[in-house]
Amino acid sequence: MSRSAERRVADVRRLLAASRSVYEQRARWVPELALATGLTPQGVELGFESLERDADEDEVRALVARVPEAEGVHVVLSANVFVAPLRAIALARAAAERVTVRPSRRDPVVARALVDALRDDAVVLVPGRDVAAVDRGEIHVYGRDETIAAVRSAVRPGVVVRAHGAGLGVAVVTRAADVAGAAASLAPDVAAFDQRGCLSPRVAFVEGDEDRAVAFAGALHAELRAWEARVPRGELTAQERADAARWCDTLAFVGRLWRGAAHAVASLPPGASLAVPPAGRHVLVVGEPDLAAVAARVAPIARFVVAVGSDDPGRASAAVPSHARASVLGRMQRPPLDGPVDRRSV
Amino acid sequence: MTAARESDALHERARAFVRAFERGASMPEPFDALATDLARFQARYVPGYARLCAARGVDTARIARACDAPAVPTDAFKLGRVSAFAPSEAAVVFRTSGTTIGARGEHAMRRTGTYDAAAVAFGRRMLAAGWRERVPVLVVGPSPEEAADSSLTHMCALFVRAFGLPASTERTYFVRAGALDVDGLSVRIAALPRASPALVLATSFALVHLLDASGARSLTLPAGSRVMQTGGFKGKAREVAADELRRAAAGAFGVHERAIVGEYGMTELSSQFWEAVAVDASSPHGVYVEPPWARVVPVDPDTLAPVPHGEVGIARIEDLANVDGAFAVLAQDRVRRVARGFELLGRASGAAPRGCSIALDEMLSGEAAR
Repeated sequence: MSRSAERRVADVRRLLAASRSVYEQRARWVPELALATGLTPQGVELGFESLERDADEDEVRALVARVPEAEGVHVVLSANVFVAPLRAIALARAAAERVTVRPSRRDPVVARALVDALRDDAVVLVPGRDVAAVDRGEIHVYGRDETIAAVRSAVRPGVVVRAHGAGLGVAVVTRAADVAGAAASLAPDVAAFDQRGCLSPRVAFVEGDEDRAVAFAGALHAELRAWEARVPRGELTAQERADAARWCDTLAFVGRLWRGAAHAVASLPPGASLAVPPAGRHVLVVGEPDLAAVAARVAPIARFVVAVGSDDPGRASAAVPSHARASVLGRMQRPPLDGPVDRRSV
Repeated sequence: MTAARESDALHERARAFVRAFERGASMPEPFDALATDLARFQARYVPGYARLCAARGVDTARIARACDAPAVPTDAFKLGRVSAFAPSEAAVVFRTSGTTIGARGEHAMRRTGTYDAAAVAFGRRMLAAGWRERVPVLVVGPSPEEAADSSLTHMCALFVRAFGLPASTERTYFVRAGALDVDGLSVRIAALPRASPALVLATSFALVHLLDASGARSLTLPAGSRVMQTGGFKGKAREVAADELRRAAAGAFGVHERAIVGEYGMTELSSQFWEAVAVDASSPHGVYVEPPWARVVPVDPDTLAPVPHGEVGIARIEDLANVDGAFAVLAQDRVRRVARGFELLGRASGAAPRGCSIALDEMLSGEAAR
């Protein structure tokens, strides 16, 4: 079962080459992906920009080093953001010589395209494979808590389950940032995947007084309106629309709401409890005097926070749990290919 | 006129509904007349409601129907004050239980007289119907001293005073410090006079705990007794289907299933809704009725417009007794209008997004309405 690190790195690199091929032919996948994901064609195009197509040597070596070798890996993909299969398969390929992939029934497009482009007998699509049929090695499961629990309860003894669950992103705008510039940088992170990714920021903490938070919220509203024109939001599900309606009315009552045709930004008065918005380009802006106060506000939702974006990621990291990936604003959807997106304990 | 005097006048109009109901008289004015005046009052004195109306483009000065006024989502009670008066003027503050992210909803009341009159009048009609004498009342829950901020406990205490034996020295409350005293309840039930009925007030989760813990103890109530069952489980007990729990409770208490009467209420409201099983032999379990001063309107969760009769929607509750807070509240429960009232179909689940972002429900589990 043992492969050298060089061999594992090379296997991951072959997958990246396949990813480049898929990216180059992305136009052919757009209609099918729009249908599967609910994104507009422009939204799919924007999402493709987050598909990892290359990585430097250190990143790939870090990814390989993070992944223990396994006899085989069966990857169970849920309806994650549509580019997520690349990293999932890369992690599996780094771990094992043999990889089987069960794509999401609702969104199998990119998994299928990657495996087709890879042309590697070691990576096989198995759409109908039951996890109970896996008799050795590991299962890497991506999805909601219920999906993960169902997989854990169905596996055979001795099979290791590595789970990557749902989460959310937060942004931290430090005192040093220009609020207009920070809003412009954050907007594409919000617009990508219509905010359905676990890296997508849903709460933006602004270091400073309430006026500064309000200024940032207004600026973000303007930026998201501009993004609406450039990359229209797709259709929300009925439940997403319901959650959005409820959140907007709640925030109009307790705070201040800036509502666009397909987005909303709200600010809360100091001290109010966090009202994390639903996906669909909705952002809650919270002003806090310093990063210690931000950390206190993050604490109740810390276990859900997968990513933080900031004008100063180094400082902002102190305010979020250590497992959260830190990026500069505008890069939240593209963390380095150095391991799983979700670094919470699995 | 000051806010307090305006509020007092509106309370008086709401109380007139209750008095008319008690007398069996027609209502003193149209529902919409008081509802729209409440909306105007609340838009003037509840800053958040003014903002909500503005965000929805509603000028309360121009509305003529209750349904034209925006409803306040229950989440707003967790995040801000929903009151037309200063905190120092509050006579009581009822709180919802906590959520995973820590917020508790608050419903402050400047005066409780309207709430109390409404609860007792409708409770007497739906739960204590036909009883000419006071009865022993046993509460499978904490006392008001122990849970002063629980609207449910407050209501139970009202019922103890209104329907219970005067100045009873017998024990009434059977949850202390969070623990259910099954032995004490069993002993108390055994000592009840057998010639007259008794009333037991319980939440669904308390009933589950009681049934699980009662073992061989007898809980048989005197003939003609009734049991109020309210609320869901909200993670506090193993979940049991409503009809299964009702059957089990009826068996344990030795009463007919129709003596188990369901109640639906929320901390954010001042009125309650009841199954009519004790007063209407043809009314089924699971169908709740409103008093004349409250309405439950199923609305589309997206547009918030009423759905056609018979379709499922989210409960928009218009409560004329909610004078100093929000007369219209948007709950998270799914409801459907039926011939004699409305069906309660459980809580609307939050969206499961198509990506890997977390669903709101995953962050907000463990919430209880009262």
